[in-house]
Amino acid sequence: MSESERFRLLNALGLVAVAAVLITAFVDQIAFHDLPCPLCILQRAGFLGVAVGLALNVKFGPRPSHYGLMILSSLAGGAVSVRQTLLHIVPGEGAYGDAFFGLHFYAWALILFAVCVTGSAILMLFDAQFERGPETLPRAPLLGTLAIVLVLLLALGNGVSTVLECGGGLCPDSPTGYMLIDDGTMQRLMGR
Amino acid sequence: MMSLPFFGVFLALSATLAGQRGAALVLWVVSVAAMLALFRLHATDSLHIAL
Repeated sequence: MSESERFRLLNALGLVAVAAVLITAFVDQIAFHDLPCPLCILQRAGFLGVAVGLALNVKFGPRPSHYGLMILSSLAGGAVSVRQTLLHIVPGEGAYGDAFFGLHFYAWALILFAVCVTGSAILMLFDAQFERGPETLPRAPLLGTLAIVLVLLLALGNGVSTVLECGGGLCPDSPTGYMLIDDGTMQRLMGR
Repeated sequence: MMSLPFFGVFLALSATLAGQRGAALVLWVVSVAAMLALFRLHATDSLHIAL
């Protein structure tokens, strides 16, 4: 296995990790009715931005530009989680949502975005992955293709969930329910 | 409107699977720009912290 192929597989594992983060957030939302706030939604979008960089590495082979894209997405998502962490950093000011292993989701997001930046920078240190021979790039590993499809479905699921929660406009700061379900729009659309 | 970044990433990943790298990059730029614009719209209150 070439160095490029090894790093494609490593990026596929990164995609699985991002999928695990998004699935955890979705499970918390659906099973525990912990609705995502607007900033929480934007942090999920940040993780999906990272996933695009990982997916490009899996499909087209590792390139510095793909890692750059991952770092920029992490910085954008990290800016949102910094803001939300600072909103609640003063003791007694309250917090948003449930704690998960002692930290709130926005604090976990901040840590994970920092991990993404650090991980991308470390992976970029290995120059051999960027060397290509004249031969054509082999097909993406099966795990990688499956991981891309999984994250693609999670992006679609988050999009649909956000439309149900917020309709076509901005989300309320502290959502209490799914706007399009509670106001009967979905029932009318489904003819009930 | 808040769902725009998600649908943008969905299309970017679809383009990736279809082998359209350029389209995927453009869609990623659009998604992150939408995300940052929405962040700007939501970050309106000043923070109660001393720096």
